[in-house]
Amino acid sequence: MAIARKCVPFTPFDGELAKSTVAIVSAGGVHRKDQEPFNISDELGDLTYRVLLEDVASTDLKVTHHHYDHSDADQDINVVFPIDVLRDLQTEGFIRDVAKKHIGYMGYTMQLKAMYEGTAREIANEIDKGSRADAVILTGG
Amino acid sequence: MKGIPTVLITVSPEVSGQMRPPRALYPKGFKIGNSLGKPGMRELQKAVLQDALKLLTVDTRPGSIITHDFPEYGEYHEPPHVRK
Repeated sequence: MAIARKCVPFTPFDGELAKSTVAIVSAGGVHRKDQEPFNISDELGDLTYRVLLEDVASTDLKVTHHHYDHSDADQDINVVFPIDVLRDLQTEGFIRDVAKKHIGYMGYTMQLKAMYEGTAREIANEIDKGSRADAVILTGG
Repeated sequence: MKGIPTVLITVSPEVSGQMRPPRALYPKGFKIGNSLGKPGMRELQKAVLQDALKLLTVDTRPGSIITHDFPEYGEYHEPPHVRK
């Protein structure tokens, strides 16, 4: 495996949650129903990702992923992509804001190097540019 | 880019642990596909998300996974194990 095991890429969190904006990055295969679904017929996995904007309705989201049982997420997307939960936490003042951008991708790949050196960096750049996130919640399935 | 702090919510702690995530929460016994809990259980989902976010504000050992119990989930599912 090409991923370094010696160094954990730890970024300190300096702020307070109540003053922080939070984004979600999910490997659970989440995308908007009107976006192109992930390609589950590719046995190597789909290396693409989908950008989900802050005002996305949870009912407009779905899962395309064939490596876990997503029947519960089909009923309530928040079990893998907690966008409404995050909005509740904002309303309650636990966090300051929900980020402008969130990301869904399909967390299954046989192309680890391409995922690590390509997709992961692209996602990080996507969040860094214009999401205004101070912190990111990562979820799988 | 200075980096953005992350917290992972994982239901496969052994598998995720191989990647040594900077911060991670394992809601004990949650099944795959239920990272935040079950459909419609908003208070449970909120508790899981709050506990995950709180890991940003405490000193955890980078690369380790913190396990929390959420008895209201009501089930226990053995997580997948990594073949040694």
